Amino acid sequence: MRRLIAAVALTIASPAVADQPDIRSIVENHIIPRYEALASEAATLAETAAEDCTPSNPDLIAAYHDAFDAWVAVSHLRFGPSEVDNRAFALAFWPDPRASTPKTLAALIGDEDPVVERPEAFDSVSVAARSFYALEYLLFDPQFVQSENAGYVCSLVRATGEDISRNAAAILSDWQAGYGKLMATQGNDTYRTSTEAAQQLFTALSTGLEFTSQARLGRPMGSFDRPRPNRAEAWRSQRSLRHVILALTSTRELAGMLSGENTALDDAFDEAIQRANSLGDPIFALVAEPQGRLRVEVLQQSIDAIRRVLSEQVGPSLGITAGFNSLDGD
Amino acid sequence: MATRRSFIAGMLAAGIVPKPTWADAGSPDFLSAAMKPDGSYVLCGLSNKGAIVFAVPLPDRGHAAAAHPSRPEAVAFARRPGSYAIVLDCRTGQSLTRLEALPGRHFYGHGTFSADGDLLFTTENDYDVAAGIVGIWDTRTGYSRIGEVSSGGIGPHDVRLMPDGKTLVVANGGIETHPDSGRTKLNLPTMRSNLSYLTLDGAIVDHMHLGPEHQRNSIRHLAVSGSGDVAFAMQWQGDMSADLPLLGVHRLDRGQIELCQGTSIGTLQGYIGSIAINDTHNTIAVTSPRAGLMQVVEEGAVIWQMSIADVCGVVTEGTGFLVTAGTGRIQMSAEAYFDYQLSWDNHIIRVN
Repeated sequence: MRRLIAAVALTIASPAVADQPDIRSIVENHIIPRYEALASEAATLAETAAEDCTPSNPDLIAAYHDAFDAWVAVSHLRFGPSEVDNRAFALAFWPDPRASTPKTLAALIGDEDPVVERPEAFDSVSVAARSFYALEYLLFDPQFVQSENAGYVCSLVRATGEDISRNAAAILSDWQAGYGKLMATQGNDTYRTSTEAAQQLFTALSTGLEFTSQARLGRPMGSFDRPRPNRAEAWRSQRSLRHVILALTSTRELAGMLSGENTALDDAFDEAIQRANSLGDPIFALVAEPQGRLRVEVLQQSIDAIRRVLSEQVGPSLGITAGFNSLDGD
Repeated sequence: MATRRSFIAGMLAAGIVPKPTWADAGSPDFLSAAMKPDGSYVLCGLSNKGAIVFAVPLPDRGHAAAAHPSRPEAVAFARRPGSYAIVLDCRTGQSLTRLEALPGRHFYGHGTFSADGDLLFTTENDYDVAAGIVGIWDTRTGYSRIGEVSSGGIGPHDVRLMPDGKTLVVANGGIETHPDSGRTKLNLPTMRSNLSYLTLDGAIVDHMHLGPEHQRNSIRHLAVSGSGDVAFAMQWQGDMSADLPLLGVHRLDRGQIELCQGTSIGTLQGYIGSIAINDTHNTIAVTSPRAGLMQVVEEGAVIWQMSIADVCGVVTEGTGFLVTAGTGRIQMSAEAYFDYQLSWDNHIIRVN
């Protein structure tokens, strides 16, 4: 009799279990390899800058692009180790609506602040003057590339590269040293159940897509009457559209793993990525013209369509209630 | 004789709950915005029995409302980043006039009247410069805009009048947003929330900041007691593993801050949606739609809590509190509730 009851219970439980994503696989095959790539590319960036920190060094520029690519591929994974000690913001301070990055950099250079010679103290510098976005100013913006104080700018490039590498290594180390296990195995104070772990991943995915839609595209789109192409992300190094494509590609993998390869979801990603690929303008300068802005808006709508499929189809299967108030955020 | 609570509970148990109908109509006791099943928005007047007295259409999603201190008149605000507020006759739901945000501004969704009801104060974003604004409107001249002052911080959300009638308290959430990028938070690494106390003509009386560990704690909603306790409810913007309280009480006169440990980030999923004070019983209620939890606090300790899915709106009623939820529920006591085919919005306010 006891055996029969157990069998019945299993039968009832199994459909729900089948819907549950394989969290361990997501940690081991989506998250950790991406943070490994970031740590490795960031280490190369730091080494290359140590050898030759001038903006004319093509190896340095290539290393900057590779490491920045690796960051964008994890930029949706904003929880746990990335949030300790402001690490993620020290890697990526953007948007920057008050232009804090160039202002803080200019102040460091103007003062010839000796902090650049003490790597262990560099984390005392404001996050606005660290990160890939600060490095972009130093390597691509005429104000810094043509600075009269090229020697100091060079030291600042070197210090920023080291700081990026240190933060990337610290995040990876935390994932490998324990956080990955907390998430993959659950039953601990951080993740009591696999549902909680799935919900964290769902939130990361959904927030990541929202950021791509509202910040990466919304910032340069501005309003119809006042488009703002100079607000595009990383336009100085021609990376704005590239970030959208990298972010969509990376979140598509997570979405597939979380949703049990939901076809509607994957189709929605496919459409958005195709639209992004066909845009043909790396820095969204086209938003300045109504026709061009419309094309970016259509891309934005296709990302919002992904988000709708997520909240309508994937969320409920993960036990996430799409509450009227719980999703409001006010 | 059965009390109302036991009477309603008894009917629930027997499964014979009467639907509140228009027959119950009279002056409403509460106002709350809601979404209808077809996705359109309404503002409802509610009786203290949970009956809908009127429902008037709103052009977009609402947020909170403010009741005039003497006339049966209230202002219902659009949800952030909203551009309108509607002044209505509370007895009928008829719209009296409409406030439009100035160019380059949007409302945050809250406002309050002066003690004599002559002025209305609204929280606003001057978004191109990310400056928090308290807008001032004259109710005697059909709600004309007569001025504005700095809110004392970025992202002013809730504003209340202190019991002295001369001081406003503003919850500056600290988060910069711009309508071009929706509700994307633009300054999390540098954000700093505060409570600001202002005279009615805008002079800063005092600021209250929490310690650096609270850098990502955004003060959003306020409830003020008759004796001047300012209860403030926060929303955490950092990693959810942090262990900090989300409810505090500030006393301006004593410069004293008390945080309520039981209202933790973990318990409330980092998010309080609404807050109310019951002056007679010296209790504070907070709601978290994310955690689906309502908590009641007395002297800094959580004395009672109840799970209610998507709960958010809370208002003082009788000896306790009445809460509303996005599921359509109006919960009047631990046992008594009504379920409507509506999604009740974040806040419910008293109007009588």
